[in-house]
Amino acid sequence: MQMGAVAVLTGEVRAEGVGKTIDETTLLLPTDVSADPGECIVLRGPNGSGKTTLLRIIGGLLVPSTGTATIGGREADERDRTVRAAVAALLGAPTTYRDLTLVDHLVLIDSTWGGDPATSDDRSLALLDRLGIAHLDDRFPHELSSGQEQLFRLALTFSRPASVVLLDEPEQRLDTGKRQVVAELIRERTESGGTVVMACHDPELTATLATRVVDIVPAR
Amino acid sequence: MSKRKQPARAKPAPEPTTAQPTTAQSTTPQPMPAEPAPAERALSTAPDRTAPDRTAYDPTTPDPMTDEPTTPAEVDYDDHDLLGQADWVIGGEAARKARQQGLYAGYVLFLGALVYGLPIVQAVFRTSDASSLGDQLSSPEAIALLVASVAALLGAVVFAGRFRGPVVPPMPWIDLVLPVPLDRALALRRWWRYAAVGGLFIGALSGLTIGAGLAFAHLAGPLTIIVTTAVGTALGVLATRLWLWSQVRSWPGPDRGLSLLWRVPDALRELHAESLRAHSANTSTMAGSALTGNLRTARLALTRPIRHGRSARLRPGRPFGVLVRRDVLGLRRTPGAFLSGLGLTALGGAIVTWAFTQPAAPSIAATIGLLPLYLGFGAWAEGLRLQADNVGTPSLLGTSELTEAGAHVTVPTALTVLVLGGWVGVAAAIGSLPASAPLSLWLVLVLVVAGNVLAAFRGSPTFMLRPQMVIAWYAVPAFTVVLLGSLVAVLTKAGSYTWLSVVSWLVYAVLAWAVSKVRRLTYLHRA
Repeated sequence: MQMGAVAVLTGEVRAEGVGKTIDETTLLLPTDVSADPGECIVLRGPNGSGKTTLLRIIGGLLVPSTGTATIGGREADERDRTVRAAVAALLGAPTTYRDLTLVDHLVLIDSTWGGDPATSDDRSLALLDRLGIAHLDDRFPHELSSGQEQLFRLALTFSRPASVVLLDEPEQRLDTGKRQVVAELIRERTESGGTVVMACHDPELTATLATRVVDIVPAR
Repeated sequence: MSKRKQPARAKPAPEPTTAQPTTAQSTTPQPMPAEPAPAERALSTAPDRTAPDRTAYDPTTPDPMTDEPTTPAEVDYDDHDLLGQADWVIGGEAARKARQQGLYAGYVLFLGALVYGLPIVQAVFRTSDASSLGDQLSSPEAIALLVASVAALLGAVVFAGRFRGPVVPPMPWIDLVLPVPLDRALALRRWWRYAAVGGLFIGALSGLTIGAGLAFAHLAGPLTIIVTTAVGTALGVLATRLWLWSQVRSWPGPDRGLSLLWRVPDALRELHAESLRAHSANTSTMAGSALTGNLRTARLALTRPIRHGRSARLRPGRPFGVLVRRDVLGLRRTPGAFLSGLGLTALGGAIVTWAFTQPAAPSIAATIGLLPLYLGFGAWAEGLRLQADNVGTPSLLGTSELTEAGAHVTVPTALTVLVLGGWVGVAAAIGSLPASAPLSLWLVLVLVVAGNVLAAFRGSPTFMLRPQMVIAWYAVPAFTVVLLGSLVAVLTKAGSYTWLSVVSWLVYAVLAWAVSKVRRLTYLHRA
């Protein structure tokens, strides 16, 4: 049994005047972001300006204090299974199974999204290969270096279907060559009609991928 | 007293004068002062500021009188005295008082055993058919179960010693005192003594309580009290030594054999500073996590990284099936979890089945058996806990929360059914299987499943973190299982089927509560 019949949302991302304040601390000033299928929007701003908060609001993990966020015309709320089915996100470290290897993780995700069991292994290994960590397929997550761990997290995120992909600094801890690989994966996702919204501190990656750049103004 | 090579001046040092500085900043060598007796030190309220500081001694410093470099020699070095000084500097008077608190804890434990332990043990052996119970307790099966339980207890001690041994000094002691060239056995002896005395005391008290309970229930004579106390004491000593041995083995070293069990000073000398640091850090992590309700951190601090079984692959398939296979694969890769689950479930299942099938079994037997049964199921339910750990992170799996939880209870439930079924088969084979027993065991199974789901999805405490409340918060799922399970046992034994049907609805209500907890934790994290 999968998630049941859920509507397929398009990758239209709209965040209008979304801001977040907790007690008297402002994490994010009211901000507008809009992204359509095929676009890659890069959020830019100094540390603490609220990029991750904005991504969490768009992903439906955080309720905005002001404004509204929608995915495909539906309120961005992670409790809504339709939204969950539409959004893949790498926001911080995902919790992994300590008793599964890298390839096991990808097979598990692929199977739960209804991937063809006959070719699940091949797809999983191919994705690991794209990211240059196919030789680590039988390792457990705790046996990876920090850079390899980031590549594995990206593999987890890209292994599931989604019309919207949210990435928080996907370039962190990666060398130049691996950043190009990640850029290629993101480009493929947008070319196939997906929407990508990501926070990024790498000017080269931003120049290569961004259809639009949104500068986030820090609260103070 | 031990002799240590210590560089010394070739010439006698000049007598200190009042004009000479005697603080740690001084570079002027000073003669060794006469040390105060321990009693004097304990009574003083502040360190002796006029005492010269050995740390100021620098063998390469030229003699100020002659301007000649010093040459090494050998001097006496009093380990006990240095330890006393370190004690004073680190803990002062408060450290001595803290040690006295241990005696008070022992006193409270003794009173607790007297007031609560003895009546509980008496209740355990209280039955309407004392002679049948006596026969059953002295049967080969009961003795085998007792031996297995003791072996499991000792195994648990060895397991715990890998992460948290009996010798865990505070971090400043490890970093500041252990590097000094003292005899390590002496430097660590205090913590070993705490554990050794504690083990001996708890063992003796347990033996005394059990023996007295048996005697008061007229299942054994007064001599049993002496025998069980002696056996309990011996087991307490053995358990503490195994605990230390396991701590030694948690770090590579040349001397890790079983002979360390009776060579305690050598075992203490084998303890590596890094290992002690890791054990101390584990203690802090577990205590902090337990107090704040962060169970994932506490759990991960206890588990060893998995490194084997990597050649086995997760076979793709339909979502539910692949999640079930994930749990099977997880157990294959963590045989320790599988075996501890098996041991606990077998023990708990045996006691619970005995309680439901044997008229001579005391009513409280089910209460005792429910806890290991619940814990055994939990040892097999890592997938369920990992699902709860993932709550609040962007979803990676394409299954609903209930499907995922359902898949994750499948393997532990199937294994528990197998174990309980095995014991029911044994009961049937010896010709004692009342018709009510399978129904009651079914209710117990539902309770154990629901209790483990509740425990995995208990979330984080939402109240002021006071130790008593955190303990109560932890205990709610286990307490619910034990309470309702005991009620089922009592009603089954009494043949009160009307009330049993009422309780069965309560059992299903607990299951519904567990399901609602899965939903609530999955969705209510968003803020």
